Amino acid sequence: MTAEQGVDGTAVTFDRMTVDLDALQRAAYAVADVMTVDIAVGGDKYLCTLFPRDSAADRDELAHRIRSEVIDQTLRARIAAQTEPLRNLIFALAFSQTGLADTETPSQ
Amino acid sequence: MTARLSRESTTVAPGRWQLLPMRFHRFDGDCILLTNLVGEHVFLPEKEFLAVVDGSCADQHVLAELRAKHLIQLPGERLPAELLAIKLRTRLRRLPDSTGLHMFVVTLRCEHTCRYCQVSRQSSAKSEYDMSQDAAQRSLELVFRSPSPHLKLEFQGGEPLLNFPLVKWIVAEAKRMNQAYGKRLAFVIATNLALLDDEVLEFCGREDVYLSTSLDGPADLHNGNRRRPGQDSWEQTVAGIRRIQDSLGPDRVSALMTTTEASLDRAHDIIDAYADLGLRRVFLRPISPYGFAIRRRGGGGYDVERWLEFYQAGLDYIIDLNRRGVPMVETYAAIIAKKMFTNDDPGYVDLTSPAGIGLGALVYNYDGDVYASDEGRMLAEMKDHTFRLGNVHTSSYEDIMLGEQLLQPLEQSLTLSAPMCSTCAFEPYCGADPVFHHATMNDFVGQKAMSAFCQRNMGVFTALFRRVRNDSFAKELFWNWAQQ
Repeated sequence: MTAEQGVDGTAVTFDRMTVDLDALQRAAYAVADVMTVDIAVGGDKYLCTLFPRDSAADRDELAHRIRSEVIDQTLRARIAAQTEPLRNLIFALAFSQTGLADTETPSQ
Repeated sequence: MTARLSRESTTVAPGRWQLLPMRFHRFDGDCILLTNLVGEHVFLPEKEFLAVVDGSCADQHVLAELRAKHLIQLPGERLPAELLAIKLRTRLRRLPDSTGLHMFVVTLRCEHTCRYCQVSRQSSAKSEYDMSQDAAQRSLELVFRSPSPHLKLEFQGGEPLLNFPLVKWIVAEAKRMNQAYGKRLAFVIATNLALLDDEVLEFCGREDVYLSTSLDGPADLHNGNRRRPGQDSWEQTVAGIRRIQDSLGPDRVSALMTTTEASLDRAHDIIDAYADLGLRRVFLRPISPYGFAIRRRGGGGYDVERWLEFYQAGLDYIIDLNRRGVPMVETYAAIIAKKMFTNDDPGYVDLTSPAGIGLGALVYNYDGDVYASDEGRMLAEMKDHTFRLGNVHTSSYEDIMLGEQLLQPLEQSLTLSAPMCSTCAFEPYCGADPVFHHATMNDFVGQKAMSAFCQRNMGVFTALFRRVRNDSFAKELFWNWAQQ
């Protein structure tokens, strides 16, 4: 990951081999209170440009914020993928005896 | 015979566990808060958390705690998933029994002119803003269609005591109709108490009707917010509370406060005003972004950060009061504590998912219009009828409860699928509020990173968990509040 400050925004890149686009987009969503993020693809990189909502914002701080958010979102995605079968099982068990999921028997 | 487990049988070897569904939140320093599907939680150092996720953790105490809190399980185990399913079902058990709260706006008339009022109050003489008996009858027919075995009918306004004959009629008629339904009925009059007299007191005592009022704190603060001829709202309210406590009992009256800019530095004064009256619960509520509250001089000119400072000052003062032996509960914290420490969901309409609109509450306006929530009615006063579900004169129960006006915001705002909410560690304690997000962002879901609802609740959850982690007295206090 690298960061570079331009005239209009701060550039941050992520390696496409190690960062998933979904995690990157989730991270961009989560930091939308302080910046908007433009995401483009360039070769084996995601090229992100950070645009602060407050023009006086510390650009390095913004870069740290998006990087740490991407790491957290990647970890969340990893946990979600590992636990998805169990999650589905728990919800299926939870609703299995409520009658809410029953289908009506067609009248004979 | 005493069975003894060998150390080997309880030891979990590295990599020999499965993660159960969990979400995390970065806390102070390197601390991570981990929560499971039903809100059971653990604090871990970041290093241990990462070791648990990658299978390298060797700390048996950590692994034992994670197993106990259903955050991990051993391969082949079935019990944790089954227990989680039971707990999840317990939390959601209110869903099939929908709509326990029914609010009757029996009049828009009011003799107060509160600066933050969220409805279009009318002068005391304009009886065209009273609910008719016909509208009340049709509303009651809808009330009794609700599946909930517990029905609470709350009378609102305006000032409902300005249409007291209709309140009496509705109570009598509801009890008569209930002979065929056998539900548990409760009645509450939300009143400023200025019109409380012997007749009202006698009626409330005889018919088991509770009273809820507004008390913003000490006299200067309350009277500054809640204006009426004579500038004696506080004196009237306090006298009314004391009369009810003396004649009906201390638990028959409760009070709510609204935070205005003038309240922000006065958390202690507000709580003391409640304690002085023998009130043991205070609800430190922010102002709602509806009606007069958001107009100039409506009292809502502060941001979430400032409100959170006020809230935490009040919460710490309440904790200290309890430490000194003075019982006092902060209602919002108690609602969240129940979700943190039990498998119960108190069903507070702002903190449920699916959202509480319609499912938790319905509002019958004076003119027969039916709204999905009180806030939905307030929006209608601002000419936004998004949450108007129908009218008692023309709509059936099915029209109201199965119409797109209700189903769309419910479906769109589920926290288990909403962006950011679905991965948030606080999701088990939080809720969907499509009315707030529609009002502030013109969207039922809202952009959570910029949502004042999200910011406020994240701030409250963090404040509560910080005290749980750092203050054993506060942890026990919150646990006790959760059991009430």
